[in-house]
Amino acid sequence: MAAGFAVSFAVAALVSPRVLPSQGLVRRLSAPAAASFSGAPVARLPAALDIRRLVPLGDRLGASRWAAVEHAAVARSRPTLHSAPVGVVPARTPDGTTNIVVADGEADSGGQPWVHVSLAMLPNGTEGWVPRRALGGWSFVDTRLVINRARLTLTLWRAGRVMFRARVGIGAPGTPTPAGTFYVRDRLSGFTDPMYGPLAFGTNARSPTLTDWPGGGVVGIHGTDQPNLIPGRISHGCVRLANSAILRLGKLMPIGTPVRIE
Amino acid sequence: MPPFDSTEGDRPRVSSHLSRGTLLKGSIAGLGALAGAAVGTTELAASPDAHGSAATDKEILTFGLLIERLQAAFYAEALRSAHLTGEVHQFAQVVGGQEQEHAKFLESALGSAAGNSPHFKFGDAVTDPAKFLATAISLEETGLGVYNGQGVNLTPASLAAAAKIVSVEARHTAWARALAGKLPAPVAVDATVSVTRAKQTFQPFIAS
Amino acid sequence: MTAGDGVRSLRLDDFDVDGAVRDTFEVMQCHTRSIFLRRTAGAGLAALGAVAAWPSEASAAATSDTAILNFALALEYLQASFYTEAERIGALHGALKQQADVVGGHERAHVKAFRQLLGSKAIKEPTFNFHGVTESADTFRTTAVAFEDLAAAAYKGQAPLIKSRSYLAGALAIHSVEARHAAWIRRLAGFLPAAKAFDEPLDAHEVVNIVNSTHFVTLQDPTTSSQTSPNFTG
Repeated sequence: MAAGFAVSFAVAALVSPRVLPSQGLVRRLSAPAAASFSGAPVARLPAALDIRRLVPLGDRLGASRWAAVEHAAVARSRPTLHSAPVGVVPARTPDGTTNIVVADGEADSGGQPWVHVSLAMLPNGTEGWVPRRALGGWSFVDTRLVINRARLTLTLWRAGRVMFRARVGIGAPGTPTPAGTFYVRDRLSGFTDPMYGPLAFGTNARSPTLTDWPGGGVVGIHGTDQPNLIPGRISHGCVRLANSAILRLGKLMPIGTPVRIE
Repeated sequence: MPPFDSTEGDRPRVSSHLSRGTLLKGSIAGLGALAGAAVGTTELAASPDAHGSAATDKEILTFGLLIERLQAAFYAEALRSAHLTGEVHQFAQVVGGQEQEHAKFLESALGSAAGNSPHFKFGDAVTDPAKFLATAISLEETGLGVYNGQGVNLTPASLAAAAKIVSVEARHTAWARALAGKLPAPVAVDATVSVTRAKQTFQPFIAS
Repeated sequence: MTAGDGVRSLRLDDFDVDGAVRDTFEVMQCHTRSIFLRRTAGAGLAALGAVAAWPSEASAAATSDTAILNFALALEYLQASFYTEAERIGALHGALKQQADVVGGHERAHVKAFRQLLGSKAIKEPTFNFHGVTESADTFRTTAVAFEDLAAAAYKGQAPLIKSRSYLAGALAIHSVEARHAAWIRRLAGFLPAAKAFDEPLDAHEVVNIVNSTHFVTLQDPTTSSQTSPNFTG
């Protein structure tokens, strides 16, 4: 220990109640070991705070984003109040849940941001622009669902990996499941009617044929009390899974997941 | 079983009203316990808890004073001799001034316990701009690490006052690293530095 | 946020000597408050008073170590969500993007760590709406400056109240990282990384007020699940 160092600690020790005061300490070049401050005991970090690994987002980019609709808005053909209305984006779904929209583009126009969204109306695939301020905060999902009508399969993907696969029942020839790009809008459960199984997901897809169905002919993904019909073309447009499969899907697929029906 | 029950020993209890007043008024009053004067913090000063006492505060903050004096002298010397330019020059000016304020604050709080400053020698760390920056990073990281390690032993009032300094030391550290092209904050949780290791780092700069 | 409920009014001066944070909050408040007022125009003052969306378990009267840790967790949720959204939206480039990515990684790690430490006592993540501030470099930058200075000031306010030495060690180790973050983003925003010699603390009331003034914490989660019979075609 450099002598100069010891001097300063000796001076500190002089007035510390822990060391016997002695005028002689000030003059000496090296101080007794007790006079040197070697540090009070440090406390161990709780194990949880001993962070070794960070949480990067690297493998979760390329996600799609959705937001809740906070105020019903008119969707327009272009991002400006002066363009034609295309439809309405309501704040609630027919199931009484908060309506959400998936954004696939944004534009600044007239000093405010607009968001490009798909609507839940016929014809399927109708899109429009709504003001950003009608929506809540963003949520992100990195899953996507693909339903293949020819093969009667449903596949859940995440970051290029298959997470889940199942056989499905889809619309009968007179009441087909429509093709297109949609998204999971809400999640319903606890039904008294076993027809839908234990769990159901609503989408923004509409049946093109059952146009006077109560609630507008929403196409959903749900369980069934007739699993013997799966796989098959047997429904009124909905995508049906065996109950064990819909429950498994329910553990893996968040609200807002894009759905491609091909 | 709740994981949050402390098993490592509790710190002296603090009435939140008292500490908030101390925090907001800050500065010397908060170190009243340190100087042994009863400046409205008698509850803290009288605490017999083994994990915080005026004596330990004094030891820790005396070491902190050494850190501040060392750093202040380092920046002052570099400004005289290293021909620093641009943002590095501004860094040395701003940070050096703040280290001097830190030193003055601790001297005032420690009173006679502060003693005289040692003499320092920095060699080419204050003449060579590249060495200057590397040394600045080393001194700032070391000081920060010591404060973080020893801080758990301070009484709440002294901790509140010291934290105002530590926060700025962390900014200094980040700034120096940014100037050197390094990540200003390389880890999510800062490591502590032992007093022993700090002394090894500082030793070459203390003149005999 | 009103006088009369015993809560102190906003004091940016306590921690903002060079005006950087004040400018930020004025921008954020104008931007977000006008949005908020438009939305709640019908609901009037009652709605403004009801913006106590900040988790009540995490706020103001924090005296137990659990409450203090939850308060820290709440701030980490806010920061982590902000940086995560910025990274995902992808509007940042270069040095600013690097700051968002690295600092976001730290904040996410802090969230994970506090949740692990608190176990079942951890508060749930609030719902955030950042009102577009993550969608441009300029608004991101000024918001990040405010957040990091706020986080550092909040940790300074809470540290002396922590009883466990082990938790205090954690709080100090994270506080200095937040202060590093603050210096980092200030420099990127063209401000002095260290504007003054002593950084002031903020107590819990003050922090909650500031966060509430941004309206980033929304009133409720979207209700995306329900137990009604579906109105599907079947």
